[in-house]
Amino acid sequence: MSDLPPLGRLVLQLTLLSSIGFGGIPSVLPDIRNLVVVANHWMTDQEFANFFAVSQAMPGPGMLLMMGLIGWKIAGLTGAAAAAFAAVTPPCTMYFISYSLWDRFRDAPWQRIVRGGLAPLTIGLVIAGGTVIARATDTSWTAVGVTAIAAALLLLTRINPLWLLGAGGVLGGLGVL
Amino acid sequence: MLSPAGAATPCVSLAAIFFELLKVASLASGGGLVWAHRFIVERRQWLTETEFADILSVCQIMPGPNMIGVAVCVGAKLRGLPGAIAGFAGFTVVPGTLGFFLAVFYLQRTGIPLFQNILVGVSATAAGLTIGTGLRLLRAHRFRPVALGFAAAAWAGIVIGKFPLLIVLLGLAPLSIAAAVVDRARLR
Repeated sequence: MSDLPPLGRLVLQLTLLSSIGFGGIPSVLPDIRNLVVVANHWMTDQEFANFFAVSQAMPGPGMLLMMGLIGWKIAGLTGAAAAAFAAVTPPCTMYFISYSLWDRFRDAPWQRIVRGGLAPLTIGLVIAGGTVIARATDTSWTAVGVTAIAAALLLLTRINPLWLLGAGGVLGGLGVL
Repeated sequence: MLSPAGAATPCVSLAAIFFELLKVASLASGGGLVWAHRFIVERRQWLTETEFADILSVCQIMPGPNMIGVAVCVGAKLRGLPGAIAGFAGFTVVPGTLGFFLAVFYLQRTGIPLFQNILVGVSATAAGLTIGTGLRLLRAHRFRPVALGFAAAAWAGIVIGKFPLLIVLLGLAPLSIAAAVVDRARLR
């Protein structure tokens, strides 16, 4: 696989990861960071964190946008389209097929058991995705504090997350972090 | 189902599916589900509550970005495969393209310290929000020590062990599903 061009490797990896990424894209972020930052140096940690930040602040399908930006960095507009396509096609195909089959096994007990078994793993993976991004982005203790406060406020209040993102941006802009 | 007999799924045009999900996506930042329900079930009455709930259950067992799955399934329910494609396209293409060019415009200006600093703040916050989302989901399992243990193991496998996702899933999923089987047997 190492003789493929970078975009080929990214697309292959995204196709695999989006097929197994229970819990959505946050859970595949650590693997993607390993590929594009650690193993191949296609971008820096800061660029990776920038893509994450921008894609979270935009309306619309955020994680799809993040994959598009990573593809763009590696191979321009073609890269963006290819990466976005690789990230959504496998899960969408699975949604379509499983929804079409849904009636056949809607009451099957195994389905509830599998879901009950996978749920805790999914949750752990989502938290791991957040942790890995925090490590890439938080270079000061103040930034770690901002991450912790954001997590706590989301957990304990019903405040709209957009306000928190805005406040984080203002703190960053003031040069506090 | 509460709908009167013969009130099958209404005939909806592909363009209508596209534009309705485009509206949902435009409002969707931070909690798109609320909007999907409001437009598809309440306002347009394309689906009943039960049908919408069915779609949600499917999208929760499958991997991938869940809201995109809802868009695909709503389209599939209304018009089969063409509907699924219309729903997907409405939900992703226009907002995704717009967002992409806005994002690139901004990212090309990160040489300016102010622009870069803002992103550091947003990124630190967004990482916290992702962690918070996970913790919030974990609350539902707080009385199940086994579930907490598996969540912690998955977290540690990625963050401390630095294993690939595939390895963590292959290693833990069989055990975790086996534990769910035992749990269920005990509850009987």
